[in-house]
Amino acid sequence: MSADKKTGLNRRAFLKVSTGVAAAGAGLSLPREGFAAGRKRLATLIDLSRCDGCPGKDIPACVGACKTINMDKIPKIHEPIPEPWPRKTIEDWSKKREVFNRLTPYNFIYVHQAEIDEGGQKRIVFVPRRCMHCDNPACATICPFSANHKYENGAVVIDQELCFGGAKCKTVCPWEIPQRQSGVGIYLHILPSLAGNGVMYKCDLCNDRLEEGKLPVCIEACPQQAMLIGDRKEIYALAEERAKAMKGFIYGKKENGGTATLYVSPVSFTALNGTMKKQPGRPDMGPAERRMAKTDKMGKAVLQAPLYGIAAGVAGAFMALSRRKDRVQGGENGHE
Amino acid sequence: MAMSDKIMNDKGLVVRHNIIELVEHWAIALSGLLLLVTGIFELPMANRYYLTSLPGLSWSGDFITSLYIHYVASVVFITAAVFHLLYHGILGEGGMIPRRGDLKSSIEVMKSFFGKGEEPPFHKYLPEQRLAYVGMAFIIAMLILSGLVKTYKNLYAPDMSLTLVLWATWIHNVFFILFIMAFVAHIGAILLKPNRPMIRGIFMGTVRLDYARHRHPLWIEEMEPRPVDEVKMEPEPVDEVKEEIGEDPPPPLSVVSEEAGKEEPNKEP
Repeated sequence: MSADKKTGLNRRAFLKVSTGVAAAGAGLSLPREGFAAGRKRLATLIDLSRCDGCPGKDIPACVGACKTINMDKIPKIHEPIPEPWPRKTIEDWSKKREVFNRLTPYNFIYVHQAEIDEGGQKRIVFVPRRCMHCDNPACATICPFSANHKYENGAVVIDQELCFGGAKCKTVCPWEIPQRQSGVGIYLHILPSLAGNGVMYKCDLCNDRLEEGKLPVCIEACPQQAMLIGDRKEIYALAEERAKAMKGFIYGKKENGGTATLYVSPVSFTALNGTMKKQPGRPDMGPAERRMAKTDKMGKAVLQAPLYGIAAGVAGAFMALSRRKDRVQGGENGHE
Repeated sequence: MAMSDKIMNDKGLVVRHNIIELVEHWAIALSGLLLLVTGIFELPMANRYYLTSLPGLSWSGDFITSLYIHYVASVVFITAAVFHLLYHGILGEGGMIPRRGDLKSSIEVMKSFFGKGEEPPFHKYLPEQRLAYVGMAFIIAMLILSGLVKTYKNLYAPDMSLTLVLWATWIHNVFFILFIMAFVAHIGAILLKPNRPMIRGIFMGTVRLDYARHRHPLWIEEMEPRPVDEVKMEPEPVDEVKEEIGEDPPPPLSVVSEEAGKEEPNKEP
């Protein structure tokens, strides 16, 4: 097997893409086996120095392509949507499917326009936002039904057939990425008023397409090659290289414990974050600690607990046996 | 019978559980209760049902906090469960292991609770206690095994095989429901009038001697030494022994049997 195949990346194609020389079609043609699901750890790179927000287009190309490919993903909404009890929150985006300037169950990526003041000069930076596909995503690991899962290739995918729409994933995500659509999903068949409230939706890195050896559609559609996908190590190396070349910054490498999405920007993320007000469907780019890390130490103690039990059980039993033996001997001596 | 079991004629009590058994029971019970509650909080229910608005429960909607408490309780729960298995296993205390005929006897006992027929004489544990013990032990074992897989995934392998993750998750969820049912049944059983004298045992370690003589004559028989001249003889038929229970004068404390029990454990299930 060639080195290229081992890394899951056609190096020549990758370099073409990474330097932006390749023509869109030829340069993005990556080998089928390279993206076969679960075999390679992938990462994506979003180069903000390249994204121009697709001027002249009604919707940025990545957003439009994503909306198109996921158009029929959500099944028909149950009408009327059952009213949850006792908190009566219903989230219905089915009549606002066209919204593209924030995350919704029908829109998994949007482009934020940041106006930065650089020494009196205004500079505009376009920032595509979607799921970061974290390395250890709490949204997936503590989903009570394992409806959300991180695959070996790095994609974090919600199974809409299993999701109850409790929005726990959204609560534990530092960016509150997953979005709920009420009135669909398995909860309708169980206790729709008492448990569950729909299905959570977010970018799945086009995992089905990756399995078919295709690129995520947003990456394929980008006319600027502002987004790349490839072997994780190479993408990480490339991000460093580009950041160094532009004297820029990287976001996503350490945030939430590390992610499979690296942003490279000529403008600091502190400045970019200053243009973002965190609000529903519009994540910011602030520092994002991995809150689950607070539980790691105790989690390790849980894994060690069987050993504690073995040590205590064996020691306790032998002490008891020893006492029993002493008593028997004492009894025998007493009778002598 | 555990080697600590003994009759205290002067106090009119019988030692039913020693300190180790009491600690085991309450460690598993209290950590299990905490696991159950924090497990419910891991479902996104606390906020929906306004539990977060209740005084002292504002943390219930914070999944990371409840996970941390879940982990803390798991350390106690797993340690106690593994200790229980090994400690009593090594000492050969297996009085809670079901015996032949326990199922049939359990049905008779349950009928007697509703006034149909009379209870048979019991050993230290009731036949349904022995059956319930195995049921609860199986539930606890499945919860621990699936919980360990889930914890390992949380720490080291978020991209673990989806098949394994789904198995662990759904075993944990299904046995969580069974654990709740078993817990309710356990509390329900102990509240039945004939069983109430045993409540004292799981708090104090001792039960009333008159209760034990009346309901657990086979256990008392194991603890009471026979007169020396009878020891040399062949064992008497069980029926005759039963008739004598309660009629013999209490044995002197100094000769209370230590080695009588080569069986029996532990704690109430």
